[in-house]
Amino acid sequence: MRVLTTIITVLAIVLGAVPASAQDRAARKEIVIGIAAEPRTMLAVTIVDLTTNTQIEHIYDRLLDRDAKTLKPKPMLATAWKVVNDTTWEFTLRQGVKFHNGEPFTAQSVKATMDYLQDPAHKSHYAAYWKAVKEVQIVNDYTVRFVTDKPWPALIDRASLTDFLVMPAKALKELGPEKLAQRPIGTGPFRFVEWKRDERLVMERNPDYWAGPADVGRVTFRFIPEFSARLAAMLSGEIDIMKDVPPHVVDAVDRSGRAKVRTAVSSRINYVALVTLKPGPMQDLRVRRAMNHAVDVDELIAKVLQGRASKICGPLSPANVDYAPVECYRYDPARAQALFKEAGVDPTKLQLTLDTPSGRYPLDKDVSLAIAAQLQRLGIKVNVVVNEWGTHLDKVKNRTTGDMFFLGWGPAIFGQTVVEPLFKADQTYSSYGNNKVLDDKIARAITIVDPKGRAAAYAELQKLVHDEAPWIFLWQQHDLYGVANHVEWSPRADEKVWMYDAKVVAR
Amino acid sequence: MRVYVLSRLAQAALVVFLSLTAVFGLVRLTGDPVLLFMPTDIQAKDVEEFRQRLGFNDPLTVQYGRFLGRAVRGDFGESLRYKRAALSLVLERLPATLLLAAVAVGLTLVVAVPLGVISAVRRGTLVDHLGTLAAVLGQAVPGFWLGLMLIYVFSVQLRWLPTGGTGGLAHLVMPSLVLTAFFAARIARLTRSTVLDALGEDYVLTARAKGLAATRVIGKHALRNAAIPVITLAGLEIGQLLGGAVIAETIFAWPGLGRLTVQALLNRDFPVVLAAVFVTSVTYTLINLLVDLTYGWLDPRVRVA
Amino acid sequence: MTRGVTGVVLTLAVVVAAIAAPWLAPSDPARTDFALGLRPPGTPGHPLGTDQLGRDVLARVLHGARLALFIGVCTVVTTAIVGGLVGLLTGFVERWPSAAIMRLADVQLSFPFILLAMTINVIVGLGLRNIILSLSAAGWVVYARVVRGEVLTVKERDFVRAAAALGAGRARLLFRHVLPNVAPSIVVVASLQFSQFVVAEAAISFLGFGVQPPTPAWGSMLAESRDFLYVAWWLAAFPGAALAMTALGVNLLGDWLRDTLDPKLRV
Repeated sequence: MRVLTTIITVLAIVLGAVPASAQDRAARKEIVIGIAAEPRTMLAVTIVDLTTNTQIEHIYDRLLDRDAKTLKPKPMLATAWKVVNDTTWEFTLRQGVKFHNGEPFTAQSVKATMDYLQDPAHKSHYAAYWKAVKEVQIVNDYTVRFVTDKPWPALIDRASLTDFLVMPAKALKELGPEKLAQRPIGTGPFRFVEWKRDERLVMERNPDYWAGPADVGRVTFRFIPEFSARLAAMLSGEIDIMKDVPPHVVDAVDRSGRAKVRTAVSSRINYVALVTLKPGPMQDLRVRRAMNHAVDVDELIAKVLQGRASKICGPLSPANVDYAPVECYRYDPARAQALFKEAGVDPTKLQLTLDTPSGRYPLDKDVSLAIAAQLQRLGIKVNVVVNEWGTHLDKVKNRTTGDMFFLGWGPAIFGQTVVEPLFKADQTYSSYGNNKVLDDKIARAITIVDPKGRAAAYAELQKLVHDEAPWIFLWQQHDLYGVANHVEWSPRADEKVWMYDAKVVAR
Repeated sequence: MRVYVLSRLAQAALVVFLSLTAVFGLVRLTGDPVLLFMPTDIQAKDVEEFRQRLGFNDPLTVQYGRFLGRAVRGDFGESLRYKRAALSLVLERLPATLLLAAVAVGLTLVVAVPLGVISAVRRGTLVDHLGTLAAVLGQAVPGFWLGLMLIYVFSVQLRWLPTGGTGGLAHLVMPSLVLTAFFAARIARLTRSTVLDALGEDYVLTARAKGLAATRVIGKHALRNAAIPVITLAGLEIGQLLGGAVIAETIFAWPGLGRLTVQALLNRDFPVVLAAVFVTSVTYTLINLLVDLTYGWLDPRVRVA
Repeated sequence: MTRGVTGVVLTLAVVVAAIAAPWLAPSDPARTDFALGLRPPGTPGHPLGTDQLGRDVLARVLHGARLALFIGVCTVVTTAIVGGLVGLLTGFVERWPSAAIMRLADVQLSFPFILLAMTINVIVGLGLRNIILSLSAAGWVVYARVVRGEVLTVKERDFVRAAAALGAGRARLLFRHVLPNVAPSIVVVASLQFSQFVVAEAAISFLGFGVQPPTPAWGSMLAESRDFLYVAWWLAAFPGAALAMTALGVNLLGDWLRDTLDPKLRV
């Protein structure tokens, strides 16, 4: 009996230590975000990884930001920019900004960051992104020039992404990257508090932030790899924000009374690549066009994704600054049949393989199976091979996929990040290439500085890609975020999850 | 006895050495190991340079020697994903998994073993039937399904327990339950059957015929002999506990070694996989050493083997 | 006694379901129907409901039984033969090769079963055949160890020693005296391992490495059900129940076998 009482008492004490409820957190202006993986490093501009950057860009600022609605560049650490000549961009820097350790932000830090990432000893993944930059010139404390080896109009786009998060020059020199990796120092709206590996990353409000302190006092990223556990944490009120709520669960979340699902039409696109880089039926242009006519994208969006996707008809989406509208491939089985006949292919004898990942993109596997079912209507037999993500990526890179593969690409904010890596034969993730005309057009388009000329060049490029039908063009994803009722925050098309914009309201 | 201990130690060292070799071989089985050690965004044209830099063009014996030399000093290279020393990453996560495993073993000793003994002593009664049912169910129900159901009931619906992470005893309850379920079930059943056998042995019947009290008979004679297969299986299974922790850790976001290894496999982060394999094998070997020593102490007949 | 009967009944039910799946299933398990996605059990034509692509759950569970039994039988037979032989030989012949082999076995045992299987799959690829390969490669060692332990003890028993003293040759000792006493343990371990393998396959699929969809395997069905757990409980409940039922049945069967074959068995 005594034993029993002791056990019950202990249990009561122990179980009383349940984590803070949602109300407690709202009162303390705290937000907890459930995320699938922890950051791979706390240093800026070292590893290209969306999850990492989503988290560390609360600590570091970009040189330029992107407007949430128009997705065009806007001032951040740089207040103005201009083109000095074809190979030089000049940035005017914001004055009065301090790093979290008190060090003032000047042109030195911009140069130090570029030097850091270009130094081969640091093996930064960003070196490739900035290889066109020959040097960074310091004109004065608050003016800096980027000198490139050839004209690079998209430099401004790069500078407005997480591809250039600014690190402190003095701290970088005195402490070195290793120490900085443990206690990162930036100019951002939140200061680093602690990183418990594999568990959580905690940051607190920076009261001296140049744009004014954030409404949120404390941001915690909790690493929950298992998707349903994350959803459970959302439904039980343990976390306030989570990404990638599947369409079928949206109603359950909305009805839970704790959170609502907010949608953003993402800049990330999904498509089915028709592989032309090795011998096969896809090398025939007519077959590729027939495939586009044979797949009913609208039905896929309506039935499989519950309407949560925005159809695209070319390689760039409306969220992309270089977008130009192109004609859509209508769902037209008759036209598809005619094209197959013209190409001398009998669809009932056609056997294709479609490689797809599983769970990487919303309902990717299910969409692939649905596409196979649609193609079956014309008698085409499609073998859907579902791959674990690492395997899928390997297959794409090693060119060992089947005739088609499903892939997503994003954030796709400006044209160069889409056309250059995806339509040239020597690029890692490309499924199409060896088209000299296209290669030349791409090479030209990325060097045009004049906005009108650039728009015209990209419009021409998109029409050409559309006509070449290297993909079955699918859609822009809709990013579905579960957001707790006491948090006011709207998701963005560029997938930036930035808590500076969030407000905590007591409801 | 001392010879026994020393020989077991030597064999343990051999095991660790062999596992390192196996790991080395396993990686090279893939054909082109450089693909396993490259970061994902290397361009196809840079592969050859990488191959040269990592030393994969050297003769196999040279690579092996280098690998062993580094491994002995604890250098398994840098994690491809985190750009940190792989071994330190692995060692950071080990305590969390050991904690879970220790709790599971503790729970098993306290619950499963007595259950098995009672089931055997009271064979055929309701207690026996219920106990066996619980044990068999414990083995049949998949751990991950149990985990998801537990989260659904206790976290989402009842809100009694947190869905995961560390922080207090409340966080420990569900993950250790999931981990214990299978292990305890096996041990309970095994204990029951070995105690049954021991009870049926002639020397036990003799002892009882001589008038010794039942508990004394059970405690001193039967249990001691029943212990051997139980400990053997327990020793084997503890290694599996370390592996079963993988599921519990993934579902409950427990920051342990199992979860790290799975993610390393999914991310093709082979330096970490190798370091994890090494650490797991050393841990397991040490545990088995303990088991073997206990074995030798319990059953003098086996000691000479 | 009831235990045995239950075991036989359950196992038989699973076997029948597996064999008769094409006739018992209301529809083709691979047939998709987008209009009928995520329907609950009791929907006309779909007694156990449908999944997100409109495929019938009952059909998938029944066909999943085939795969589960196939995986279970293949792995159990392979591991029992390989492990049993190794265990017999190393237990009986106590020269140094036995110790060496057991050390190698220890090496393998020091890799947690699931992780070893997953690592093998990452290297050789996924799919049904590779799953059986990796599960077998990871699982034979348990037999070897247990059987060897048994052999070591049985060897010392009086009747064996008597036979040896009477001049019986080694092979004769092994196969006529030791093996029959060890065989039941192999059978019982096999029955325990069967359910463990089936569940392990499910776990590996859950983590993303196993048999890939759209093949209806209970493991990958459970893995897929994660996304829909809170709106479609039946997607997890029925495959999970089927899995548990199979494991339960086979375990009870194994128990009964042991009770009949040799109640003194220490497994």
